[in-house]
Amino acid sequence: MIKNPLRGCSAIAGIGYTEQGKIANRTALSFHTEACANAIKDAGIKKDDIDGLFIYRHFNTRSNEPDITPYLVAQQLGIKPDYLSEEANCARSHLYNAVSLLYSGLCKYILISYADNALLSKRTFVDEATHGEPFGDVAAFGQFGLVSAYAMAARRAMFENGTGPNVWKHIAMSTRAWANLNPRAIMHRKVMSEDDYFNSKYIVEPLRLFDCALINDGGRACVITTTERAKDLKNSPAVILGIGQSNPSYDIHQSFYMTKNSGAKRASELAMHMAKVTHKDIDALQIYDCFTYTVDLTLSDYGFYDYGHGEEFFNDKKTYPGGRLPMNTSGGLLSEAYFMGLTQLTEGAIQLMGRAEERQLGVLNGTKKPNIVLCSDNGAALQTHNCTILGSIDTL
Amino acid sequence: MKNIILPTPNEETEFFWEGCKHHKLLFQKCNDCGFVRWPVNILCPECLSFNYSIIESKGRGFIFTYAIYHYAYHESFKEKLPYNVAIIKLNEGPMLLSNIIDCNNDELTCESPVEVVFEDIDDEVSLPKFKIIKKIKF
Repeated sequence: MIKNPLRGCSAIAGIGYTEQGKIANRTALSFHTEACANAIKDAGIKKDDIDGLFIYRHFNTRSNEPDITPYLVAQQLGIKPDYLSEEANCARSHLYNAVSLLYSGLCKYILISYADNALLSKRTFVDEATHGEPFGDVAAFGQFGLVSAYAMAARRAMFENGTGPNVWKHIAMSTRAWANLNPRAIMHRKVMSEDDYFNSKYIVEPLRLFDCALINDGGRACVITTTERAKDLKNSPAVILGIGQSNPSYDIHQSFYMTKNSGAKRASELAMHMAKVTHKDIDALQIYDCFTYTVDLTLSDYGFYDYGHGEEFFNDKKTYPGGRLPMNTSGGLLSEAYFMGLTQLTEGAIQLMGRAEERQLGVLNGTKKPNIVLCSDNGAALQTHNCTILGSIDTL
Repeated sequence: MKNIILPTPNEETEFFWEGCKHHKLLFQKCNDCGFVRWPVNILCPECLSFNYSIIESKGRGFIFTYAIYHYAYHESFKEKLPYNVAIIKLNEGPMLLSNIIDCNNDELTCESPVEVVFEDIDDEVSLPKFKIIKKIKF
């Protein structure tokens, strides 16, 4: 079989963290610039090496803050990239763009960033940009934003295949157990018991508070370059072995894929094919957990367990610290921090770089050093999905 | 009720809301392939034909799925908590987002048969809501 030339051509070379959680005095823009500067420093390159800058979609800023644009982030970093992009509606296109631009030679060092000051802005994630209708046409019925969209998907799945809170509790609790090992995680000091999970209040039933991602201030960025260049830099690179993207696109109330065959299915097939890996090769999972149900659906669409069979999958605690298939080892969006897909991607990379401290796989009791980590990213109401398979340099 | 949210018809969606005002549920039906579509679309998403007619739905279908809000994202819904939002699959095909009225939230189930009931907000605006069709006892 001919090797896909995109397999392993690019790698994550640096990661930028910021303070995260509830931070009283910072604009969203300031978190972008800090995360980007830290990623550049971590990669060990000069800022003028950056010739591509992508930022995730952003939520509306406060009226006394500038609107976030890639121009502004570039200006604040004092760089003049050849390529700028910011996606507007959550489509997870960043890695397709990055790998294509690096492979073609149009870019050499690409920065990807997400930041927000959602707590300072008192954001409730109402102002979503995903619905085709004018605001009033669904809001007149009391429909606002994405918690409800995922709640409706989750409810349909409960009806069709019998999934439910007895599956989702494991996703919330195992993710929290990992956060308890990560000092950076917002929920680091808060243990979650099964009672805590079931006692957390409904936001939009059937989703409870602990089924929902955190809302926080902070930023996250990473530097992606060609694997050849990354080999000469200071960090051990996290090589991008495979990428897959799929955009089913339909609004939730027109969705025919809310319980199976979402974008996750096609995206994972594409990514595994490019990476030439199968399920048994995967040492750890970093699954986009905007809601617990998203993880449930993603894992079934990826083929880790059949729809509705999550209880059997999670009951042996394989995804918890010390389990044989660690998942969301930073604490994920549910318990570490919400930086869209960068929470997952940067954690996959830091684990492969061997820099995950107390939660490092291969150091933590009962775990083994990872060679292949699968990361997922998902946007809007299951309308877009990206699957990325990262590997250590030894997997090339 | 304070600061109530109303639909915002535009040139293309006006026929739907005007229909609701007269207690009719109107949709576009493709003249070429027969597909009944929603939301409003200049062409048929099945066959890309621009030819269509407006048809009146009988207003019957079933609950595809639903969610129950325990948190008000807007002040006009505070006093309604907990309230439901549901996706209705109509017999003619379209999926419509609405509310199930005249029932307790714990009576809701996916696949329950429903029919449309128009809720008059004022002289100009009516919203298509749905109620569960109870089984007829003989």
